[in-house]
Amino acid sequence: MEKIAIIGGGIAGMEAARRLLQLGHEPVIVEKSDHLGGHVAGWYKLFPDMMSARELVEQLAAGLDGVTVYYRTRVANMNRLGSGYSVMLSNGVNLQCGAVLISTGFRLFDASRKEEYGYGVYDHVVTNSDLEAWLGGAPDYRIPDNPASVAFVHCVGSRDLKAGNPQCSKVCCMTAIKQAIEMKEKFPQADIWCFYMDLRLFGKKYEDFYIAAQRDHGIHFVRGRVSEVSEDIDGRVVLKAEDTLAGTPVKLSADLLVLMSGMLCNEDTQSLARMVRADVDSDGFMRSRDNIYRINESNRPGIFFAGACTGTKTVPETVGEARAAALDIHNYLSGND
Amino acid sequence: MKERFAIGFDPFVLPFLVGMVFVLGYCLFGLFRILWQLPREDRRKFLLSLITPATALKNIWDIFCNCLLHVKLWKRNKMLGFMHSSIAFGWFMLILLGHLEVFIYCPERVHLFYYPIFFNYFVANNESTIGGAVLFFLMDFFLLLVLSGIALAMIKRVRSRLFGMRRTTRPSMLDRIGLYSLWAIFPLRLLAESFTAHISGGSFLTIPANWVFRQFLGNDLNLLPTWWAYSIALGIFMVVLPFTRYMHIPAEMMLIPMRNAGLRIRHPRKGFAKMQVLSCPGCGVCIDACPMSVQKVNIKDCTVYLNRQIRRGNEKRIEEISDKCLLCGKCEAVCQVGVEGPKMRVAQRSVRRYGLTPDFAAIDTAPLVQAAAAQVSKAAAGPKVLYFSGCMTRLTPSIGKAVTSLLGKAGVEFTWMDREEGLCCGRPLLTAGRIDAALALIRKNQEIILGSGASVLLVSCPICYKIFTERYSLPGVRVVNYADFFAELLEQGRLKLEKSDICYVYHDPCELGRGCGIYETPRKLIGQAAGIAEAEKNRAESICCGGSLGSLTLDFAHREVMTRKALDNLYGSRADAIATACPLCLSTFRRYSDRPVRDLAEVLDASTVSSFQP
Repeated sequence: MEKIAIIGGGIAGMEAARRLLQLGHEPVIVEKSDHLGGHVAGWYKLFPDMMSARELVEQLAAGLDGVTVYYRTRVANMNRLGSGYSVMLSNGVNLQCGAVLISTGFRLFDASRKEEYGYGVYDHVVTNSDLEAWLGGAPDYRIPDNPASVAFVHCVGSRDLKAGNPQCSKVCCMTAIKQAIEMKEKFPQADIWCFYMDLRLFGKKYEDFYIAAQRDHGIHFVRGRVSEVSEDIDGRVVLKAEDTLAGTPVKLSADLLVLMSGMLCNEDTQSLARMVRADVDSDGFMRSRDNIYRINESNRPGIFFAGACTGTKTVPETVGEARAAALDIHNYLSGND
Repeated sequence: MKERFAIGFDPFVLPFLVGMVFVLGYCLFGLFRILWQLPREDRRKFLLSLITPATALKNIWDIFCNCLLHVKLWKRNKMLGFMHSSIAFGWFMLILLGHLEVFIYCPERVHLFYYPIFFNYFVANNESTIGGAVLFFLMDFFLLLVLSGIALAMIKRVRSRLFGMRRTTRPSMLDRIGLYSLWAIFPLRLLAESFTAHISGGSFLTIPANWVFRQFLGNDLNLLPTWWAYSIALGIFMVVLPFTRYMHIPAEMMLIPMRNAGLRIRHPRKGFAKMQVLSCPGCGVCIDACPMSVQKVNIKDCTVYLNRQIRRGNEKRIEEISDKCLLCGKCEAVCQVGVEGPKMRVAQRSVRRYGLTPDFAAIDTAPLVQAAAAQVSKAAAGPKVLYFSGCMTRLTPSIGKAVTSLLGKAGVEFTWMDREEGLCCGRPLLTAGRIDAALALIRKNQEIILGSGASVLLVSCPICYKIFTERYSLPGVRVVNYADFFAELLEQGRLKLEKSDICYVYHDPCELGRGCGIYETPRKLIGQAAGIAEAEKNRAESICCGGSLGSLTLDFAHREVMTRKALDNLYGSRADAIATACPLCLSTFRRYSDRPVRDLAEVLDASTVSSFQP
C-alpha cells in the first residue's frame, strides 16, 4: 500500500483523502495551519442551500478516521524518487509517496492593496471573509451594532489589471448577494447597496437569489465601480461611484463597507510547483494538462491537482474535483490509466 | 623660418577645403533656418541676449566649460570626462596654436583656411627659435593629448563598462563613417608631421618618430601621400558631420546661448527643439538612466533614439516614443548637453488633435468658491491655510488622513479644499499635451483658490505641486509643499518628533526631486522621525516607480518590471521600510513591495509625540 501526500487540508484535500481511504490507499494530509477545512472552516453559510459551512467541514472530517494529518507543517522539499516522490516535511518527516495531490487552494486578495477603498485606513471597512467570520459569531469591532446602510463592492482585486489579477473570482457576485441578504435579515431597517461591474450568476439557483434579493429583500444594485472611498466626520464611509445605467455619479454614505476580495493563487503553491517542475499558468495558478478533460492532472507524472490551486472554484466544484482526483490517483497507482 | 612653397598651395588640401566649406555652409544655413523658425519674440530675446554683456560672457564661459572641457562629464565619470575633453580641448588647442603659428610666421597667409591645419607641410625649420620650439612642443603635446583620447575612445567601443556605461547606442552607418574618419585624423596627422619633421621641424613626439621612420624608409616618398590621407580623413569627417551625431559639436555651441537666453520649446521639431535634437551627441547616457530600459523592448524609446528618429523623420516611431515615455526626467538630469527629453515629448504630444475636447469652461466654480471661502473665513488669526490633496490622494487616503492628523496636532487651522468636491490640478492633461484643456482647469482652480481668501496653499502631491508652482498665477498666495510646511512647523516647535527604531529608505519621487528640486527636506524630516538609509541611486538619479501618469501607452505588465527594478534599488539599502512623498509612488510601490511603504506624512504622524498647546 503506497502513501499519497495530500498537500493542503482544505475541503479538496479532505474530500480526496476520504475517497482515497475508501479506495484502499494511505493518504497523508499536510496542513500548514492548525485546523482542517481551510477557508471554508471560517465561513458561515454556503450558497445556494445556505448549508452551514461548519457542518460541511465536520462531515468531511468524519470520513478521515485513520488518515494521518500533519498540522502546522509545510513541504520543505519534494523530488522524484523511483516511480514516486520523496516528500520532506518541515517537521522532519519524510514521506515516500506513490503520488502527490496538490490541493493548496487560494489566498484572498489583500484588500489593503486597493487603498482607495480604505481597508485598514478607515474604521468601517471589512472584507467578505471578515464579514463571513463575523456572521459565524466572531466579534469584529469594525461592524457597527445597528448599521443604517451597508455597501458591498464587487470585484476587489479581481478582473483588475491594476491589481495584477485579470481573472474573475467566480464566487464573489453570489457571495455578495448571499451576504447582502444575510445582512438585510439581521438588520431589516438597513439599506443595502451592491456596486457591481456585471453580475456573473452562472450556478444553479444563483439567479433565483439575485431576484429574491431585489424583490423580497429590497437590496439596491448599482452597476458601476466605486472610484473612491472617504470618511466623514462621524466616521461613516463615503463612496463615490458612477451609476453606469443611469449615467450619473453617485455619492453614498454607509455605516459599513464590505469589499468582495478576490481569489489569488497561493504563493506556496508556486514554490511547490518549482520543486517538481510542474507548470504554473499565466494567471499564477497551476497549469492543468488541459482545462476541459484533465483538470486534475499536471504535466508531471504522479502529481495531481484538486480545487482552487488550478483556478477560482466554487465549493461544489472543488468537492467534485477532489473526488475525480482521488479516482485519477487510484487509477494511476493501479496502472489502469 | 621660411616657407617651402612660394605659391603656398598644394592639391592635397582640396579634400579638407571642400569639407570645410561644406560644413561651414551647412551650419550657417541651418542656423539661419532655426533662427527663422523661432517665434518672433524668442528670436528677439535670443539676439538681444547675444549682445548683453552678462549673458555673452556666460555663453563663452559655458561653451568653454561644456564643449571643450566637458566639466559635466568629468563629474559623471573621470574616464569619460578625460576622453571627451582631451579630444575636444586638444583639437581646439591644435587649431588655435596652428592659427597662432600662421599669424606669427606668415601673417600674409592668415586668410587661407588650410594653412594653420597643414602648417608643417608648408614651412621649414621652425623650432630653431625659442618661440618656434615652444609652439612646436605645445603642438606635439596637444596632439598626444588628442591621441590619448582617441585611444580611450577605441577602448570604449569595446568595453563601455570601463567608462561607467552599461549600454551605449548602436551607431548608424554614417555615424560609423564619421567615427572611423575621426579616429583616423589624428594618427594620420602624427604620421604626416613625423614624416615632415626633418624639414619643418618638430618636437618630442614628431622628431623621434621622424628619426625612427628614416631608419628604415630612407626617403620622403611617404610624405605627400600621408598629407593627402590626413586631408582626406578631415574632408570625409566634415562632409558626413551634418548627418551624424558629430553635428552636436557645432550645434551645442549654439544651444548654450539659446538656453542662456531663456528660450523654451514651443514646437516639437522647429527652433529650440531642433537645436536640441542636433545637439544630441548620441552618447547613450540616457539609455542606462531610462527606467524603461530594464526591458530590452523599450530600450529604443530613450531620448537618444527620439532624437535620432526626429532627425530621420520617422513619424511613426516619433509618436510611439513620445507617447510611451514616463516623463520622469532622468534623461534630462543626466544629459550632458541638456536635451530636454520630457519637454520634447510633451511638445510632440501637443500637436495631436483630438475629436473630443472637454469643456471645462462650463464648470460652475461658485459653489466651490463659496464652500472654501466660508471655511477659510472661519479660521482664526494667522495664515489662512488651504490644503489641496489632489486626485491621486483620493486613491491613497492614508496620506490625507496623516496630513490632517499632523495639522491637527500642530494646531494649524486649515480648509481641505478638495475633500468633498474638487477639480483636477490640470497636470495629467498637461503631460498628455492637451495644454488648452489644462489651462482651462488651471483658470478654474485659480478662481477657487483666490476666491477663498486663503494665504497659503498647502499641497501634498508633488504632481500637483509642480504645476501649481510653474503654471498657476496666484498673487498673494504662498504655494508650499507639505515637506517644507512640516519642516517649518518643526522649527517653530509646533510638532515634536521622537525617533522610532524603524529605518526608512527615502525614494525621491520624480516630480518632487527632479521636478521641483526638493531633495533634502524630506530626508531631514524622516531623519528626525526615524532612521534613514540611502539607496544606491538617489536624488537626481532616483529611479521612477513606474506608475507615472506621464506615459500614455505603457501597460501594467511593463510598468511592473520597472517598479520591481526601482524597488530592488531601494531594497539594496537594507532599510526596514520605504518612505516616499508622492501618492502615485506610494500606491505603485505598495502594489509590489515586500516591505511597508509609507508616505512622508505617515512617517511623521507615527513619530509625533506631543500635540501643540497654544
